[in-house]
Amino acid sequence: MTLMQSERPSQRGPFLSRRLVGLTLAAIALTGAPIVAHDMWIDPTTFFPEPGTIVGLRLRVGENLLGDPLPRDPSLINQFVFEDGTGRKPVVGRDGADPAGFVRAATPGVLVVGYRSNPSAIEQTPEKFNQYLKEEGLDAVAALRARRKETGVKARELFSRCAKSLVLTGPAPTGPGDRLLGLPLEIVAERNPYMTAIGQELPFRLVYDGRPLAGALVVAMNRLNPAEKLTARTDNEGRVRFRLTHSGMWLVKAVHMIPAPAGANAEWASFWASLTFELKDRI
Amino acid sequence: MPRGSLSRPLTIAAAAACAAVMVCASVARAHEIGTTRVSVMFRADRTYQIDIATDAAALLEKLDASAGRPPSPETGAARLQAALAARDEIFRRRISVDFDGSEATPATEYSVSLQPDATSPALATIHLTGDIPGGARAFTWTYSWTFASYALTIRTDGSDTPIDEWLEGGQPSTPFVLSEAPGPTGRIGVAWRYFTLGFTHIVPHGLDHVLFVLGIFLLSGRARSVLWQVTAFTIAHSITLGLSMYGRIAVSPSLVEPLIALSIAYVAIENIFLAELRSWRVALVFAFGLLHGMGFAGVLKELGLPRADFLTALMTFNAGVEAGQLAVIGAAFLLLGLQFGTCAWYRRRVVVPASAVIACTALYWTVERFSF
Repeated sequence: MTLMQSERPSQRGPFLSRRLVGLTLAAIALTGAPIVAHDMWIDPTTFFPEPGTIVGLRLRVGENLLGDPLPRDPSLINQFVFEDGTGRKPVVGRDGADPAGFVRAATPGVLVVGYRSNPSAIEQTPEKFNQYLKEEGLDAVAALRARRKETGVKARELFSRCAKSLVLTGPAPTGPGDRLLGLPLEIVAERNPYMTAIGQELPFRLVYDGRPLAGALVVAMNRLNPAEKLTARTDNEGRVRFRLTHSGMWLVKAVHMIPAPAGANAEWASFWASLTFELKDRI
Repeated sequence: MPRGSLSRPLTIAAAAACAAVMVCASVARAHEIGTTRVSVMFRADRTYQIDIATDAAALLEKLDASAGRPPSPETGAARLQAALAARDEIFRRRISVDFDGSEATPATEYSVSLQPDATSPALATIHLTGDIPGGARAFTWTYSWTFASYALTIRTDGSDTPIDEWLEGGQPSTPFVLSEAPGPTGRIGVAWRYFTLGFTHIVPHGLDHVLFVLGIFLLSGRARSVLWQVTAFTIAHSITLGLSMYGRIAVSPSLVEPLIALSIAYVAIENIFLAELRSWRVALVFAFGLLHGMGFAGVLKELGLPRADFLTALMTFNAGVEAGQLAVIGAAFLLLGLQFGTCAWYRRRVVVPASAVIACTALYWTVERFSF
């Protein structure tokens, strides 16, 4: 397995100053040219609920972990489930409400939440679509468009969200960590983040249609310092490894795009995987 | 195993087959709709009020990040309200209240309320108020503090039918024609407004079109030459303007605009080498007219067309464009053609140097427009 991490956070200097740099860069991102495509992630009201308490599951869409609430939209939900020690159950909620769902943290251990959306349609100008492919590292699609001489052509796309979140119930991690829920594109933490010390290497696997996806760009960012991104491309086993050196909420994300199936009324279909969890200073 | 590479046809076919099941599982819908709502009210006393309802904590977080500040952990309604009001100057940076291309500066008022449902987040309502500038014709709204889709609703005093539009964060709204408010103007008012917009798009705003028309005029001092070319140009641009506005054709402005500049350069250069009207020139002017029509459509789309009087506005805009072009030709004829058109030196001292200047300007525009 090859480590393909192309960028790592600087290990020098106090975190506070890096955080300020990060905030400044986030400010530039927010005031400068808008990022074409937006991330979507699950933001639980807490990552560390006491057993028996209710956790709100907020859906967020945005960039650099600055997000807008997505209220529960039954027409968009394809799958909204959670899995704990007792098995898999649907996430309940009130239509139109934010948070979009609620779960009772009943069993101690890691509770895995999964959300899969129905596809949404979007049409973009050639310039915006090319920029978006570049930003999301979708080099293969950009190359295919170039070969087909389509770089000057507008693009219709169907995008689907495949978001996950890891919540730890109870004081100490017990039992299994993350697990495969069967989303079309899915990021799986191969080591339990709640049993991983800050700075230890965390392997993630990117799975598309049940099989590891190689060569895809995976990005990790911390809530307090989202501009300082860790990026890596998956190896042949679909794996990347990140050394997460800060506590707080983390978002790990990846996008995969394929030609849309015939009759889809679009040229491209994309899948947006995300995984959120929170690292504590001490485990 | 999928390798993330799309270079192999078999891989593509397999991936597409898998995706067909995943993608076609349901009918695709439009966008991801957030919790932000914007409503605009135009009152009969020539004032407006814009109400933005949005998640208070999410907005505060974005305002802080935009200013490079660490997030404020405010939670109570009163504290959130005070925090938002204190960031008014930052908030204004990413909203736009636009009347006819001029930015208005509304008064702002912030309020935050907790929702009856304890689990729902605090809701911020921001009221923007001000006077509608005298003579204002079109209103455009842009809100860039959301990443999700949101609904914009525009109402006018006395109208029971609000106009709704779904917008993305940062996307300007379709210009709202203020005369759409019920009033005595009606269809004649719309016709006059769009005729004026068409005319002013040529004179004084459309220097490129003016130079093209002058290029047509300069070819020959004979009325027959001008008449043939203007007729061909008018028919052609009317065709593509109409087809574009009805969505039958769509060509990117990034291609149309440089080609328009190139067409001006061509006509001007040809003037230097050609002294008489030839049939191919009329055909070329017709082809160039097709291009210019798409350019006019781009402008008209930006201006927006009233839904109720779409055809009236389209036809009067085209008529206004035509009137603007005839005005340019009329002025050129009165100033030059009438007095000097038959002079022996007219071609050498007027046509050739003027065409050269037009050609240089147009070539510069061509390069500029292809580059940006």
